[in-house]
Amino acid sequence: MHRWTYIVRRLILAVVVLLSVSVVTFFIARVVPSDPAAAWVGSHPKPDQIARARIELGLDKPLYVQYLMYMNKLFHGDLGTSVQTHHPILMDLKTYLPATLELVLVGMLMAIVIGIPLGVLSGAKKESVLDHVTRFFSVAGVSIPTFWLGLLLQLLFFSKLGLLPLNGRLSVDTTLYHPVTQITGFYLVDTLITGNWFAFKDALLHIILPAFTLATYPIGLTVRMTRTSMIEVLNQKYILAARVAGLPERTVLFVLALKNAIIPTITVLGLSFVYSLTGAILVEVIFSWPGLGTYVTNAVLSLDFPVIVSVTLIVTVFYVFINLFLDIVQAMLDPRVTLQ
Amino acid sequence: MKDGVLLSVENLHVRFDTYAGQVHAVNGMTFDVRRGEIFGLVGESGCGKSVTGLAIVGMVPHPGRITAGRILFDGEDLLSKDEEEMQHIRGRRIAMIFQDPSAALNPVFTVGNQITRIIRHHMNLSRRDAYERALSVFEAVGLPDPVRIYRSYPHELSGGMQQRVMIAMALSSGAELLIADEPTTALDVTIQAQILDLLAHLRETQHLSILLITHNLGVVAEICDRVGVAYAGNIVEMGATEVVLNQMKHPYTEGLIAALPSPTRRGQPLQSIEGSVPDGLHLPSGCTFHPRCPHVMDRCRDHTPPRVQFSTPYGDHVVSCHLYAREEAR
Ligand SMILES: Nc1ncnc2c1ncn2[C@@H]1O[C@H](COP(=O)(O)OP(=O)(O)OP(=O)(O)O)[C@@H](O)[C@H]1O
Ligand SMILES: [Mg+2]
Repeated sequence: MHRWTYIVRRLILAVVVLLSVSVVTFFIARVVPSDPAAAWVGSHPKPDQIARARIELGLDKPLYVQYLMYMNKLFHGDLGTSVQTHHPILMDLKTYLPATLELVLVGMLMAIVIGIPLGVLSGAKKESVLDHVTRFFSVAGVSIPTFWLGLLLQLLFFSKLGLLPLNGRLSVDTTLYHPVTQITGFYLVDTLITGNWFAFKDALLHIILPAFTLATYPIGLTVRMTRTSMIEVLNQKYILAARVAGLPERTVLFVLALKNAIIPTITVLGLSFVYSLTGAILVEVIFSWPGLGTYVTNAVLSLDFPVIVSVTLIVTVFYVFINLFLDIVQAMLDPRVTLQ
Repeated sequence: MKDGVLLSVENLHVRFDTYAGQVHAVNGMTFDVRRGEIFGLVGESGCGKSVTGLAIVGMVPHPGRITAGRILFDGEDLLSKDEEEMQHIRGRRIAMIFQDPSAALNPVFTVGNQITRIIRHHMNLSRRDAYERALSVFEAVGLPDPVRIYRSYPHELSGGMQQRVMIAMALSSGAELLIADEPTTALDVTIQAQILDLLAHLRETQHLSILLITHNLGVVAEICDRVGVAYAGNIVEMGATEVVLNQMKHPYTEGLIAALPSPTRRGQPLQSIEGSVPDGLHLPSGCTFHPRCPHVMDRCRDHTPPRVQFSTPYGDHVVSCHLYAREEAR
């Protein structure tokens, strides 16, 4: 009960945050010296075309009316239209958002599966060979420039070894002969649901390199956070007590200690996740991945404000929910944490 | 005589190799714990009591190392066992509890989760049977409302209850020897007495032998059958509690007892032993107590004192002191 009232309170707060963000982004977009009407019309606009576009876009109305019109549409699921491409933004997002989410989620999964065990072992065997090797790679992971690593991986796994595809989400063959039925937009999920094994394997092979490139930074962070908090936890009396009670080292490390040590790691992973939604632009460009980062970067370069505002809102939604999720996970892991 | 011995520690040496140098934490510790008895290991802070306790279960903390000695448990040499064999002894045959129960319980698991994990690991019971066993052990250590305790997290329990839970966990798999390292030091006085009563009671009902580590002679007087007085990692005097506390022979024991507040000496200033406890980095030569000893003689400075054995109606009384060397010869 207690937990639910907390969640409801946080959700109400989330709505307030979202409204504020919408106001701020909307007005910033209008204050910036650029003319959406001119952009709408295209290159070499004539003055009367611009004037017509202005009325068409409602730009002749007072700002607050424009905002209310915008919000009204938003509540009806209409995110507006890109001034650059004249595409409905919602349609664009239906391709870009799942592509990004799929990439980022696989990247985070890699960070969890690789980073946490390495962090645990490296913290447990401090100053061992494993620890030194792990620390070397975790420092490398957070300091290697993404574009360089991405290109290097392409060179190695595509050009030299020919093991993995160069870029994109699917190969041409797949698109032609085993097309993916779009259900969720997550190719790995859609192909699985429809039993399209050929496309599933292809999508999997395509996502490995970009996801790993994206994951190197979070892996490095995860290893370091996990290692640091494991070292602290392993010094606690209850760990000694568990060992003296004869429990196997596996249980001591991966259950008894890890549950105490994992909270900072989860926080870091959650924030990396949100960051990667729009921050994965380099990976998206190198691997021709049709993601949100590329989409919003193009929008920023062409001052396509409806797109900027929409993406900002979506990222805010994720940010708010990830934070709520992190709080709940923390309270679930540690009974001494009270939600309030 | 030796038949009754469950644990025997012989000439144990533990050394920590630190950046500052070699710390001699335990230096020739020798004592034994007999079946069914409560043996007190008493001494000032830093004299190597905890390290000795941990050495028995094979858990000397890094960077410590056992450099000499033997530890015989039920006739088996524990120091010759490998890690896997020791895991079968830890928790199953020898259990240990610690000073601060709130730190020794894992904060993020329920008490029930922690005890059943241990029970199931050692006894191969079903979930249901382990649960039943946990409840009955909780009852045996005097915890009221075992079902509620089972579902509690450590921070929801009082210090006394936490220590009872620790004892329950320690005994849940039928250990024969309990090493209790300062089990009451962190608790309120009234709770201390209850926990000591509980230990004495469990010794009777569970066929338990207890190695009770403490710096408190009052605790020793209350429940120990025999006691060993440790100084700088060695036992300087050992025997039945009545004998050691009333007819002590070692000057250090005399000093410790003189330093106790006592009703018969009310109003008189407390005495304390001059000087300070030697640190393991620079142990005095000869008898390690000689710099503080009021009866110091020349040979004390560079000769290790002999272990002199006296017979008393309560059993052997052993003293490591040059003062009694002649008596031994007689
Ligand atoms: N990890 C360690 N590194 C270096 N020296 C240590 C370490 N642990 C213990 N020692 C040394 O071993 C000696 C004995 O420590 P121990 O904890 O056994 O004392 P104790 O008799 O239990 O004292 P207390 O009453 O304070 O618990 C100490 O003087 C300390 O210098
Ligand atoms: Mg101690």
